[in-house]
Amino acid sequence: MTDEQTNETLLEVDAISLSFGGVHALVDVSFDIRKGEVRSIIGPNGAGKSSMLNVINGFYHPQEGTITYQGQARKQMRPHDAAAGGIARTFQNIALFKGMSTLDNIMTGRNTHMSKSLFWQALRIGPAQREEIENREFVEHVIDFLEIQSIRKTPVGRLPYGLQKRVELGRALAAEPTLLLLDEPMAGMNLEEKEDMSRFILETNDEFGTTIALIEHDMGVVMDISDRVVVLDYGRKIAEGTPEEVRANQDVIDAYLGVSHD
Amino acid sequence: MAFDIFLLEVIISGLMTGVMYALVALGFVLIFKASGIFNFAQGVMALFAALALYDFLAEDGWFFAVFGFTLPVWLAIPATGLIMVVLAWVIERTVLRFMVKQNEIILFMATIGLAFVLEGLGDILFGSDVKPLDIGIPQGASDWLLDNFNLYIEQLEIFAAGTAAVLVVVLAIFFQRTRIGRALRAVADDHQAALSVGVSLDKIWVIVWSVSGIVALVAGIMWGSKSGVQFSLSLIALKALPVLILGGFTSVPGAIVGGLIIGVGEKLAEVYIGPMVGGAIENWFAYMLALAFLLFRPQGLFGERIIERV
Repeated sequence: MTDEQTNETLLEVDAISLSFGGVHALVDVSFDIRKGEVRSIIGPNGAGKSSMLNVINGFYHPQEGTITYQGQARKQMRPHDAAAGGIARTFQNIALFKGMSTLDNIMTGRNTHMSKSLFWQALRIGPAQREEIENREFVEHVIDFLEIQSIRKTPVGRLPYGLQKRVELGRALAAEPTLLLLDEPMAGMNLEEKEDMSRFILETNDEFGTTIALIEHDMGVVMDISDRVVVLDYGRKIAEGTPEEVRANQDVIDAYLGVSHD
Repeated sequence: MAFDIFLLEVIISGLMTGVMYALVALGFVLIFKASGIFNFAQGVMALFAALALYDFLAEDGWFFAVFGFTLPVWLAIPATGLIMVVLAWVIERTVLRFMVKQNEIILFMATIGLAFVLEGLGDILFGSDVKPLDIGIPQGASDWLLDNFNLYIEQLEIFAAGTAAVLVVVLAIFFQRTRIGRALRAVADDHQAALSVGVSLDKIWVIVWSVSGIVALVAGIMWGSKSGVQFSLSLIALKALPVLILGGFTSVPGAIVGGLIIGVGEKLAEVYIGPMVGGAIENWFAYMLALAFLLFRPQGLFGERIIERV
C-alpha cells in the first residue's frame, strides 16, 4: 500500500456482462479500483479475468454495464482512448514487437506522449527531433529502472522469456500510465525472476503512485503485494476484499478446489 | 574489348530495368509490412497516378477542360500526390475498415476487386489510349558517358536510379527513426499490442496506403516517361512478384536488391541464353528464378525467417 493511496475511485466497472455468441465470459461483474492501490483479479482458468482486462482497455465491448474511468462513465472503452487516457497493459502471452530492439519496443510506449505531425517527422528536423530526444531520455530511465541496459539494442525476439516479460513491462511503464493492467506478469517465471518482477511492480506502485490491476495465479505473490483482491469464477464475481478476507472465504476455496456448481 | 563494353552495357541496362521493378515492388512491401496484405492493386495504383499526372499536364485532359489551363510540372506532381493520399483515405474508409481481423486471403481478394475498380475508373475518366508523359526528364543516351567511356546508357534510367536511391534512404529513415515509422512496424508485428500503446489502426493504414500511393506515383512517372502511360503498366506490376519472392515480402532493401537481380538476370539470360532457345526469355526468366527461390529459400534473401513451432 502506498502513501498516496486514497479512497478516491479511479475506475469502476458496473454490472458488466460480456458474451461471445452463447458463451458468457462475464456476467454482471462490478468492482472498483482505487487510486494508488494494487488490485488483484484472481480466479481459476476461464474465469473471465483476461476478458475483464480486455473490457477495461477497450479490446472487448461488453453488451451491458458501464465503465467509469476518471469520473467519466461510458458503455465501452476504445483501445485508442484507453491508451490516451493513461491505461497501459501487458499481455498474458507476451505481445512484443519481435523484430524491433528493446529500445524501440519501449519507445513505442511513448506513442501517446509524442504529437509532432507527420510533416515534421518526415523531415526529421526541428520539433520532431527534439521530441524524439526528450522521449528517448525518458525511455533510458525506464531501462535503468528495470535493469535491462545490457539488452537495449537486442531484437526482443531473441531474448529469453523472463526478459521479454520485463521489456513488455517497460513498454507499459514508458507510457507513464495512470492505470497499469498486468496480465499474469509472472507466469512461467522461476522464483528469482518472480521476486524481481514483484519488486518492480511494488516500486512502480510506490515511487510513481501508479494504480495497478493485476491478474496472477501465484497466490503467494497475490497475497503479498495486493491491497485488495477480487475473485471471479465462471464469469461471475464470487468474492472481494483484502487478501486475508478472500483467503478465508468459503466460496473462493470451493472455486479453487473445484467443488461442483450444481 | 568491345565485348566487355557490351557485357557492361547489358548489365547496366539490366540494373536500370531492375530499379524500375524495384520501385513497383517497394509499394507492395510497404503495405505488406504494415498490414500483411498483398496489395494486388499496386500496379494499377501506379497506372492511376500516371494517368492523373498526365491529366494535370495535358491539354486534352479533364483538368484543362474544367479550368482552362494546365498545371506546371512542379505543381502537378504534388497535386497527384494529394490525389493518391485521398485515394488511400477512400480505400481505408470504403474497403479496409470493414475487413479488420479478416483472413489475409479475404483482404487479398478485396485488393483484386480494387484493382479492377481502379482500372475501370482510370479508363472511364482518362481513356485507354497510350499517353506520352513528359515531365522534363532528359531523354536519350547520356552523351558524356558515350564520349568518355563509350557506354550507351539512357539518361532516364540514370534519373530513375537516382530517384529510387533517394526514395529508399528517405523510407529507411522514416521507418527506423520516427514515431510513425515505429508505429508502422509495431502494427506489422502485433495489432493488439500496437492498439494497447495507443496506435490508431485506421490512421496507420491511411498513412501506409498514402506512402505506397506516392511510391506508386514515382513508379508511374518513371514507367510512363519510358514507354508512355498505357494500361499494360498494370501488368508490369506482375514482374514485381518474382522480385518480392527474391527479396522477401517484408524487406525494403530486399525489394531493391531483388529488383536489380531480376533486371540484370533477365537481360543477361536474354542476351546469352536467349539465342539458344529462340529468344523471348526475358518474359519468363524472372518467374523461373522465383520458382527456384520458392524451392530453396522461401523467405527470400532478406525476409523474416519462417519459423514454425511444432
